[in-house]
Amino acid sequence: MTIQAPPASPPAVVPPRPAVSRRRRKPNLFRTLSRVLIMLIVIVQVYPLAWLFLTSLRTEHDFATGDPFALPSSLTWENYARAFETGDLGRNILNSFIVTMGANILIVLFGMMAAYAIQVLGFRLSKLVRGLFLIGIIVPVQIALVPLFIDYSAVNLLDTYQSMIIPLAGFSLPMSVYLFSSFFEYIPRETYEAASLDGAGPYRIFGLITLPLSLNTVVTVVLVNSIFIWNDFIFANTFVLSEDLKTIPLGLQNYIGAMGKVDWTATFAAVCVTITPLLLVFLVLNKAMIQGLESGATKG
Amino acid sequence: MQPNRMLPNRSRTSVLVFLLPPLLLYGAAVLFPILQSLFLSFFSWNGISDMEFVGLDNYVRMFVADDIFWRAFLNALLYLAICLVLQLGGALLVASLLTSLRRGRELIKTLYLLPAIISTVAIAFLFVRIYSIDPVGLLNQLLHWIGLGSLERPWLSDVNTVLAAVSAPEGWRFTGLYMLIIYAALIAVPKELEEAAVLDGASRWTLFTKIRFPYIRPVWITTTIMATTYGLRGFDIPYLMTNGGPGQSSELLTTYMYKTAFTSTDFGYASTISVFIVVECLVAVGLILFLLKRKAES
Repeated sequence: MTIQAPPASPPAVVPPRPAVSRRRRKPNLFRTLSRVLIMLIVIVQVYPLAWLFLTSLRTEHDFATGDPFALPSSLTWENYARAFETGDLGRNILNSFIVTMGANILIVLFGMMAAYAIQVLGFRLSKLVRGLFLIGIIVPVQIALVPLFIDYSAVNLLDTYQSMIIPLAGFSLPMSVYLFSSFFEYIPRETYEAASLDGAGPYRIFGLITLPLSLNTVVTVVLVNSIFIWNDFIFANTFVLSEDLKTIPLGLQNYIGAMGKVDWTATFAAVCVTITPLLLVFLVLNKAMIQGLESGATKG
Repeated sequence: MQPNRMLPNRSRTSVLVFLLPPLLLYGAAVLFPILQSLFLSFFSWNGISDMEFVGLDNYVRMFVADDIFWRAFLNALLYLAICLVLQLGGALLVASLLTSLRRGRELIKTLYLLPAIISTVAIAFLFVRIYSIDPVGLLNQLLHWIGLGSLERPWLSDVNTVLAAVSAPEGWRFTGLYMLIIYAALIAVPKELEEAAVLDGASRWTLFTKIRFPYIRPVWITTTIMATTYGLRGFDIPYLMTNGGPGQSSELLTTYMYKTAFTSTDFGYASTISVFIVVECLVAVGLILFLLKRKAES
């Protein structure tokens, strides 16, 4: 394939410059400009979060009167004390953890099983099943709220961990199936044939070959889904009522007091506490997570 | 017959053993509720009394008699447009700029992605303060400093700005995710292609439009579909920040559906809106594939 000079079509948005200087000096100017621009955009992305943290260390008086951009006049941990008094943050974090674990187990195990059936075992309607899974990626989760609410109340599942885990796992399953099947494509056919000759059936092959080989994909699937499940608001808000079962997003809402009055500095302290677990995971595993998010889209 | 089959001696039962549990979960959580919504959309039901079959009445009401529905639909489209510009535009810009950096790419990727791991409730709290006017929030203070003090306002209670104000956090939140994906595609563009074009005297702009973008088009289509379907399911932030108000200024189809179902307990009509949302998503995805694929062929 030969590369031709771009056709002389008009969209010359870049103003014409002397062609000679362009290659020498412009890249530097361009590079400086891009650096400045990137810095600005990164500040827009990160500063609000830094501000959130700083505010959680401000005194209430400082928050109500001061310039929002100014550094706190004095640092205090009192907001954190009030945050723990107002809400049951430990309980909320534990609940989020239970829901995230439960959903992830289903997503990984079932995603792997479905992908194994589709990609490795093969069956006549496998194309149709793949297509069915596509629906779950396209449609918004909200459409399941009314039907699930009705079904749950019929079988007494309202206000349980399962009521959150089932739809969270169900809606994440398609991406998991796609990720696992695209990984299974890379396991060479000969591996399976050799195992078959040794007399291994589909169950042993799944347990002894497919499962151990896919550990990397498991990490990807878990990391990507955990972000969404940990932060789920809508299912928890619709199906859970009792304080004992409230996950982090619901727990944070408790900080809006009667008459909509909010103790902002304590709320921000609570937000900081609840962000921390996922933030730590993210910062420690950020290479794996970033890779996961990239592959999640391109293969999914 | 079955090109996919890799195991010669697998039984029909084994396929079912592996396929049934996932399909049951998926069916119960996703497929069956969609059908159920379709079914319920032909009924009038408040969850307690007997269900009453009303035929197409709900649909007639939605399309003909319900101004709030249309308002919410238009709002949802505008919300989607703002999210798409911020997410995809921002993502493409930052990803392109990032390829020209020599150092610090990993750090910037991490920082840029940071908002994506924060829960929507936390983001809603944060942005309520950013938009606040008393005590003065970050946005109004910033406007004041750069001499645009006349623009200072309570962004969330001004009917002209509230929709943009609830859309921006959603755009802000996920732009990092799309940036990662587009960046990964951009650095996969073969260097020889770019170098050859530069030798031929291509400007940065032509390099981008003629080499890079066509090369990443498949990924661009995927991200556009992702961002669109996510934009159409936008709910948390408007619901938490304004609950659709003031009036219906920031009502989206999703928040309207939610309130119809769980505040007015009108399950039938809420299901009708749900069906519309499903159709809307399918149409949107179809349109994107149609438009972007056709452009690629021409």
